[in-house]
Amino acid sequence: MSSLSVSNSHSKSNEVAVSVQHLGLTYTTAIDRRPTLKARVKSLGRGTKQTRTVHALNDVNLDIAYGQVLGVIGTNGAGKSSLMRVIAGILPPTKGRVEVFGSVSTLLALGVGFNPAMSGRANVHLGGLAAGMSRKEIEYHFDEIAEFAELGDAIDAPMRTYSSGMYARLAFSVAATVQPDILIVDEALSTGDAAFKEKSFNKIKELRSEDRALILVSHAMATLKEICNDVAWLHKGALVQRGNPSVVVDAYQEFLHLGKSAVIDEDL
Amino acid sequence: MSAQPRVPLQVYEPFRAGLPPLRKYWKSLWSRRTFIAEYSRSELREQHFDSLFGQLWLVLNPLMLSAVYFLLIVIIGGSGGSLRYGHLTASLFLFYLVSNSLTGGVKSVTAGQRLILNTAFPRIMLPVSATVIAFIKFIPTLLVFIVMRTVLGLPFGWAMLWAFPVILIALIFSLGAAILISTINVYFRDIASFLPYMIRTLLYLSPILYEASALKPQLRTLEHFNPLFTILESWSLSIVHAQPPHLSSMLQGLAWALGIFLVGTYFFLSREREFAVRL
Repeated sequence: MSSLSVSNSHSKSNEVAVSVQHLGLTYTTAIDRRPTLKARVKSLGRGTKQTRTVHALNDVNLDIAYGQVLGVIGTNGAGKSSLMRVIAGILPPTKGRVEVFGSVSTLLALGVGFNPAMSGRANVHLGGLAAGMSRKEIEYHFDEIAEFAELGDAIDAPMRTYSSGMYARLAFSVAATVQPDILIVDEALSTGDAAFKEKSFNKIKELRSEDRALILVSHAMATLKEICNDVAWLHKGALVQRGNPSVVVDAYQEFLHLGKSAVIDEDL
Repeated sequence: MSAQPRVPLQVYEPFRAGLPPLRKYWKSLWSRRTFIAEYSRSELREQHFDSLFGQLWLVLNPLMLSAVYFLLIVIIGGSGGSLRYGHLTASLFLFYLVSNSLTGGVKSVTAGQRLILNTAFPRIMLPVSATVIAFIKFIPTLLVFIVMRTVLGLPFGWAMLWAFPVILIALIFSLGAAILISTINVYFRDIASFLPYMIRTLLYLSPILYEASALKPQLRTLEHFNPLFTILESWSLSIVHAQPPHLSSMLQGLAWALGIFLVGTYFFLSREREFAVRL
């Protein structure tokens, strides 16, 4: 990711922002949450399997154009987060190719933060610098970020003292304030209290523009129907359906053998 | 799509085992050098080394350690002397550069988990920052030693300038070791718990409590297995005794440092794309 570009003079509307071609992702992951040498030595010669292979994505083709607000839906483990991580360049694909035409800002499930012992301020700086922003750019956006997150003096307190809502608010403001070409938001709209939910919802609406592509991963169907102009449904690593939000969402809900109910509309 | 074909800003494709494109990697690392500076600064601030007493502690800690070891040497060996004390202190200071780099580096990748899972960046920045922090902590101890050797009345001479290439070699070694151990810690998280024992062993195997020249000939083979041996030997000769170090020692130290650095970096770079799923 290079530095964030200033909006170009010509409209980028309908140009491709992200092109995902025949994407496949398979990875091996450690079974132990904390793999240790001790455990390895103890299981030596017993032939215990140390890793598990995960087929996260399988031949996914997806073009996302500027001006599009794409909602991504699917059950847990459908590969939504993996797809977002590949687009963001965090996980390398095992098959296929991903082309990204613009700067990417991500708000993934874990939220912002580098070191919980450091202050929110230090974490915002470190996160921004790691993402390739310059110190000046971060400084320029910082007040805006702090204000939007409504943290007050807590911005200088260590992040381990934050509540999960404060965490989520800061994470959201960082991702939303930097004005990227492509913004990826993973299941973050459902965090925070009602007031902040409303605020972030409005911010997302505000961020919709002709020269920006938004990708939202969410289980909140009502929100997606209202905010997106395109929805993609993933299931077991494959793209099932893509198109008009209400059509795809209805198909997805039917697939789940669930009727319409307020609970599902809100969160699934 | 626009009329003219556009070049994508980023292309992600499957990687074969081995190194990423190094030129591109270096470019992206270099463009993030402010991260390393900022990371070191906030880490030092967190450990309170930005305050006067924090800095004092930085110097005091190895100084007291050297006093304790000196006591030990005098009691056991029955010999003291300012040269002995100078050697012990200077060697401990340089040893601390290496050990701080290792202890800071070992968890650098695993502690950066949140950042790694959320942002794409050259992961090697994390262990590099650990070494930078260790080096920043080393600088004041160096100044203290210069004052100390004046008080002790140790000889001055141009040969002391050899200390600079020795520091450089020690830095390359520290960096390589930090990179290597941070990678190992991703796969074996308990390496961090073994580290204090490894460091302690390294301390006793290195010419710190004793002088390299005082070692029995049959024990001199130690120097071939301990990467730090020749580095510390050259260090003591130059900065304590104000004598030029042996060329062979310098070359051997450099070879070890570069070797560890290359192995560590290769290991790290070829594995780092897998870190996100391993954390």
